[in-house]
Amino acid sequence: MRRLSLTFLLALITLGIFAQDDLMNIVNQSTPNEINYTTATFKSTRVMNGHSIERMQTGQLDVRISHRFETLNSGGYNFFGLDISYIHLGLEYGITNWLMIGVGRTEIDKTFDGFAKFSILRQSTGAKEMPVSVSAVTSVALKTLKFPDQNPTNYFTSRLAYVAQILVARKISEGFSVQLTPSYVHRNLVATELDPNDIFALGAGARLKLSKRVSLNGEYYYIANPKTYLSQQVYNPLSVGFDIETGGHVFQLFFTNSRGAIEKQFIGETTGSWKKGDIHFGFNISRVFTLKKHLKSSNY
Amino acid sequence: MFFVSCYYDNEEALYPVLNNLCDTTNVTYSGTIFPILNNSCLGCHSVPATGGSILLSTYAEVVGSAPRITGSIKQLPGFFAMPKNGGKLKSCSITQWDIWVRNGMQNN
Repeated sequence: MRRLSLTFLLALITLGIFAQDDLMNIVNQSTPNEINYTTATFKSTRVMNGHSIERMQTGQLDVRISHRFETLNSGGYNFFGLDISYIHLGLEYGITNWLMIGVGRTEIDKTFDGFAKFSILRQSTGAKEMPVSVSAVTSVALKTLKFPDQNPTNYFTSRLAYVAQILVARKISEGFSVQLTPSYVHRNLVATELDPNDIFALGAGARLKLSKRVSLNGEYYYIANPKTYLSQQVYNPLSVGFDIETGGHVFQLFFTNSRGAIEKQFIGETTGSWKKGDIHFGFNISRVFTLKKHLKSSNY
Repeated sequence: MFFVSCYYDNEEALYPVLNNLCDTTNVTYSGTIFPILNNSCLGCHSVPATGGSILLSTYAEVVGSAPRITGSIKQLPGFFAMPKNGGKLKSCSITQWDIWVRNGMQNN
């Protein structure tokens, strides 16, 4: 009996070795024809405030908790703004390797938001040369703050704002990535006739890896509309900070002049100015859970 | 569902009467000030939320915080701009607040 099982075991091992050889051959043969997709252009699905080219992989759930504190120039009595925080909570999920969706809730204006991010092109080398990655993001924001007065012209549609963005990103070297983000924001209701319902903006983001786990990120949105003569003076949002990866979590710590964490708010409603010292400390925490094991590991 | 509804509205055009009509003669705590606070402040500044450790649900609490309320709703430098959930109170509401303070913050 023992001899029989030993023979069986030996046979299995031999088979296994042969199989491994076959696999290695296949790998070696197919290498020249493979497409090498660029991975980890950014660490997280956000550059800082705005979306990055990264998506959740199929079956992965990203739980995001974001805080923006009050301005540093609010003084020591208010602990330089840390006494007051604006919170955004998000649940984001990769449906396929080209589509992710997300929902969130922001304290500002009691706003719910939802978005979808589609991959259009992926930066690659090898059999297919592609210099940039391109994705599209569309999102909807629903303000649920009560209307100040009961009025027949309080329309539900007045609560909505839409955002459309094209993300064009390139990982220039192992440690340096850039992204351009043409953006369009539509608000159904604005305060005065002078405020634009449509906002056009061009975002630029960059990531510089400082070490294996830490990178320096910067993000700026140039708003093409006039920023004065509005009911409120608005500014271009600028954010500078760090991505820190610990096991399983990504922390993004940064300084920004925006208190909103979603596109509609930081593109259209940034009332703080870096020159005046209206700088908010902020952070995002991202924790990814794998809900569904994906069969292919080639997607990024 | 959402994408079929694009509008180009502004509050001036949508709420013309509200912007022009401001009652500055009959300003009372119960009839004027409390409704403003209830609409725009008490969501956070009342038990159990107590935003920034400031309560505004009773007359005494409002009187106690009056100087800070003035700075915050006018969004003066050195004060937290309120309401922080977006925008600024209507200029009519701020005017009515000033009138109530000037008239001695009566509990009427």
